[in-house]
Amino acid sequence: MSDPIRGQTAICGLGITEMGKVYGHDASWFAGESVRLAVEDAGLQKDDIDGLLVNPGITGMMGTGISIPLQGYLGLRNLRLLNHMNSYGATASAMVQYAAFAVHHGMANYIACIFADAPLQQGGSAGAAYGGAGRRGPSGMASLMPAFGFYGANTSYALAARRYMERYGITNNDLGRVSVTQRRYAVDNPHATMRQPLTLEDYHNSRWIVEPFHLLDCCLVSNGAVCTIVTTAERARDLKSSPAYVWGMGQGHPGNFPHAEVEVGTTSGATIAGETAYKMAGVGPEDVDICEFYDCYTYTVLRTIEDYGLAKPGEAIGLYPEDPSDPESELPTINTGGGQLSSYYMWGMTPISEGVIQARGSGGDRQIEKNDIVLCSGNGGTLDTHGTLILSPNAN
Amino acid sequence: MAYEKPLPNPDENTQPFFDGLKEHKLLLQYFPSADHYQYPYSDRCYKDWSTDWEWRESAGNGEVYTWVRMHQLYHPSWKAEIPYTLAVVQLDEGPRMHTNLVNVPLEDVRVGLRVKVVFDDVTDEFTLPKFEPV
Repeated sequence: MSDPIRGQTAICGLGITEMGKVYGHDASWFAGESVRLAVEDAGLQKDDIDGLLVNPGITGMMGTGISIPLQGYLGLRNLRLLNHMNSYGATASAMVQYAAFAVHHGMANYIACIFADAPLQQGGSAGAAYGGAGRRGPSGMASLMPAFGFYGANTSYALAARRYMERYGITNNDLGRVSVTQRRYAVDNPHATMRQPLTLEDYHNSRWIVEPFHLLDCCLVSNGAVCTIVTTAERARDLKSSPAYVWGMGQGHPGNFPHAEVEVGTTSGATIAGETAYKMAGVGPEDVDICEFYDCYTYTVLRTIEDYGLAKPGEAIGLYPEDPSDPESELPTINTGGGQLSSYYMWGMTPISEGVIQARGSGGDRQIEKNDIVLCSGNGGTLDTHGTLILSPNAN
Repeated sequence: MAYEKPLPNPDENTQPFFDGLKEHKLLLQYFPSADHYQYPYSDRCYKDWSTDWEWRESAGNGEVYTWVRMHQLYHPSWKAEIPYTLAVVQLDEGPRMHTNLVNVPLEDVRVGLRVKVVFDDVTDEFTLPKFEPV
């Protein structure tokens, strides 16, 4: 039994800007480009947009991210819905969820959900862009972290990954198989930043960042923006581009409790979020055709696959070929655009944008033939927050 | 040679914890109503929202919950140490602590390794709680 809201709302417009080392513009500019592209994609007019939800990325932590003033920048004068949202990497799916409920109940007709970021500066490294975000000398207990030498998101995810790897006997070569698989998809994705094919040898030769992570275990940092426009299924049907119908929605937020009673590294919010979304959509793991999973690190993908019930704990790696760079090997239909590892890092909008493309069947050379159920995840903190969207090309 | 790595920066609430370290005591917050040890500091128990608590000395025993080797340089003072080992230690009282492991060869570091606290007087003013194998 599905919920009556299944298929009643849809993503009707998608705008993806140029991605990566695109310099000379701030996050608002990228946001503006993304909504312009999304409105054009949907065949709408600017004044049709009557809802705006925004989520800044790294620049949000630096104080230069998009927020409520984006309304003025875009000249949206008659909004019926407006908010700046943040549950980190789970925000993008949450924006679409709240927009779906709002359009379903008539609070607005066309809600633009925008993620925009521009942390990269010419001559600066990606690590500096992320590691430097919000850097002030911490006080209290937090000041112990730099005193011990802990820095950045890479470290906290590496800690989680190590526990997972030791528990299930997962090796670096296994993580490499995820990285190489996604790059093979990115080769065929014109939006992707990294399109040179990779081998496992390339993976092993990439420098260590924080063991167990090589450079090629870590996502990109990108300048760019993605906008999705959410409306009712009824309105979406008559628009210019094929709708991606929203079948299921869920969230799960285990939070971060450094205590024996809470396991870290081998669990995430995907379990609860997934159950909620499956129930709404009236589907189960066995029905999923395509996964677009938040992949800040290779490890995150394996963890997420298992928490959605698509493999038993410790067995997600079994879905990947031994050598994914072998053109004869069959790739799992997971992160079909290359993901954050190889295409672009737009927080939770990376999986959603590729999910919309696959649900529409517009993935070109990387299009997966069977695309009835597309499962998209968002994940934030260190597996602290999680959001799920199940998309479909079919209204019912 | 002067100690150049980042030093703790206690605030009013956490000063007793850092004073304890100087006396080679690892202090944890204990909330009696939930029989709960909590770390890092908070003015409220996350289990039952009680604000009634006391400092208690930890026995300092635990095991490696997880660990990594840091290769990336974020602060110049770590340059000579890279790559260095970072760990999260699960204390027997319940809380987990981010820390450094000392006196252990890399090949012996693994999840589940039993460890106990050692106090490293890094400057006249500050002591850091690190862990070594039992």
